[in-house]
Amino acid sequence: METFLQGLAMVFNAQTLLVIVAAAVFGLFVGAIPGLTATMAVALLVPITFYMDATPAIAAIVATSAMAIFAGDIPGTYLNIPGTPASAAYVGESYRLARQGRARETLGTNLLCSVFGGLFGTLVLVFVSPSLAEVALNFSSFEYFWLALLGLSCSIFIAIGSRLKAFLSLTVGLLLSTVGLDMMSGAPRFTFGVPDLMAGVNFIPVMIGMFALNEIMLFYGSRNEARSVPAMAKDSVFRHAPATLRRYWRNMLRGSALGTLIGALPGAGADIAAWIAYALGKSRSKEKEKYGSGHIEGIVDASSANNSGISGAWVPALVFGIPGDTITAIVIGVLYMKGMNPGPTIFMNGGSQVYALFTVFFVANLMMLPLGYLAIRASKIFILTPRKMLMPVILTFCIVGAFAINNSVTDIWIMLVIGLVAFVLARNDFPMAPAILGLVLGGTLENSFMSSMLKSGGDLLAFFERPISAALGALVILIWLLPTLIKHIRRLRRPAAATAGDEK
Amino acid sequence: MRDFLLGLAFAIGGGVVIAVAQTYPTMPSLQYGPSLFPSLIGAGMLIGGALLALSQVRVLAARRHAPEDPGLSRYDYLGLALSLVPCALIVFYILAAETLGAGLCMLLSMWLLMLMRGAKWWLALGVALVVSLIVTLLFSRYLLIPLPEGVLLPQSLAWIG
Repeated sequence: METFLQGLAMVFNAQTLLVIVAAAVFGLFVGAIPGLTATMAVALLVPITFYMDATPAIAAIVATSAMAIFAGDIPGTYLNIPGTPASAAYVGESYRLARQGRARETLGTNLLCSVFGGLFGTLVLVFVSPSLAEVALNFSSFEYFWLALLGLSCSIFIAIGSRLKAFLSLTVGLLLSTVGLDMMSGAPRFTFGVPDLMAGVNFIPVMIGMFALNEIMLFYGSRNEARSVPAMAKDSVFRHAPATLRRYWRNMLRGSALGTLIGALPGAGADIAAWIAYALGKSRSKEKEKYGSGHIEGIVDASSANNSGISGAWVPALVFGIPGDTITAIVIGVLYMKGMNPGPTIFMNGGSQVYALFTVFFVANLMMLPLGYLAIRASKIFILTPRKMLMPVILTFCIVGAFAINNSVTDIWIMLVIGLVAFVLARNDFPMAPAILGLVLGGTLENSFMSSMLKSGGDLLAFFERPISAALGALVILIWLLPTLIKHIRRLRRPAAATAGDEK
Repeated sequence: MRDFLLGLAFAIGGGVVIAVAQTYPTMPSLQYGPSLFPSLIGAGMLIGGALLALSQVRVLAARRHAPEDPGLSRYDYLGLALSLVPCALIVFYILAAETLGAGLCMLLSMWLLMLMRGAKWWLALGVALVVSLIVTLLFSRYLLIPLPEGVLLPQSLAWIG
């Protein structure tokens, strides 16, 4: 009880609450402006959180990401342009509702679903992660090797588009993770004689390059800034919401559960959660024909799912140190910098720190309600903020932010090079999430492999000798074989379906 | 076409990585040395890149018989050049900040980028000035980051502190 109260005191003080409000407003802006993603918001925030205590730093990240995911719905509703990729799944639906003069009602429903989804994901985080941590305490390097490999395999299997490109993107991240002194032999690898690279490539400049500089380059390459001022809605934000939510509470629950689960899978973030929840909601709906014509039900599932995904991604990040999405990939870097090494011991030694963390999630998600309401009333501000004035400011923050981590110019160069590589890859439809996971998990993968081999004297079969290790190994191999299996099943089914069609 | 070139680039990069990895020392007491993971990653890049390039060869061969699509052949070089301007400005910052000072470099870069997209010059100058002052203040006074002050205007920002 005492540690619980200590945890509460770490959150309910003027400084932390102020940080949460400021971070939420920042997240609101970044999320509401198309082309700026929630991940970018977090990457730009990190250099500033670097100088805070652990609790306000994490509070800032949680509040920013939750708020940015909701705010992505604002330009989606008014302009048919999703503010963050996580809103893309249902942007057509909400835009049509806005054309019917129901923009504020739509955003109000979005807001309530986002808050519900966020709280649902938080509850799962609070109740599941401590028990998962107890299991994880028994893990040795063998299990961690398979977990890291499982995370990387998932990120490729889940990727939208070409799996080959996802794999190549992963190799880029893995290669970056090998830069620096080798843990076992102390031999420098890929350092090119630069002393700053001895300790390895810093996450934060890489993230800034990959998610912020890359977007800035895309903006200047596109040369169009069509921005029409939409007709402003005058309807009530919350008047119809109780009826809508009473009618579709099952969708909200289903979307939240699905979102938490998908968020917890490595490599799949809020955007994929929203797409899958929207598709599932449509297929289970009683009024399928209304989908696509401005149907509020289509928003409930996906809008709950993307916010619950944000919270769900923290489960594997905190328990195993394996990020569930790109945002928690950044968070892991921050946790290490703050001396809160992610892993099961956080729940054992942390005490008040863990309670503070959980409280932050509740506060940040509840804070969304009043701030989101104000944002809906003042939507015009976000839509009229010109990107031509904003992008240069973001570039400045990129440069200073990359420099601020180590006060080193090398980090600015790293950001620049990674930004260029990410620009080329992203323009050619390579997904970025596998690269980030590769960078974050590459070290874990190699070190757990090396220390396992040291223990077993080089016997590879040792990876299958412990029961949990063997089960995880089997799961990894299953995921590798899954694409081939699915192809075979489809091939077997297709002739059957064709003959069935002929008989009709 | 671009996928073919990228695949080729990955394959060549993979080969280079493997070659470099072979130069890392092996330790007699260990079965697996520091070269193992880089070699595996290099092999992954080599094979994956080759597969990507080969998959495009078929597409390219098929397209040679098809009539040329005018939309595909004209590549947007101007757009590419414009998207490189922010990168050029980063290099400018790295090279010039020591002499001009971080604040002035930020101001110039932001102003240029805003003008590029057709902002009014006085509005852009005002916004760039305010933002660079705020950033300098926030980072060097509040967060104590040693942003380069430059030699042109030494101590000129002392009044902030």
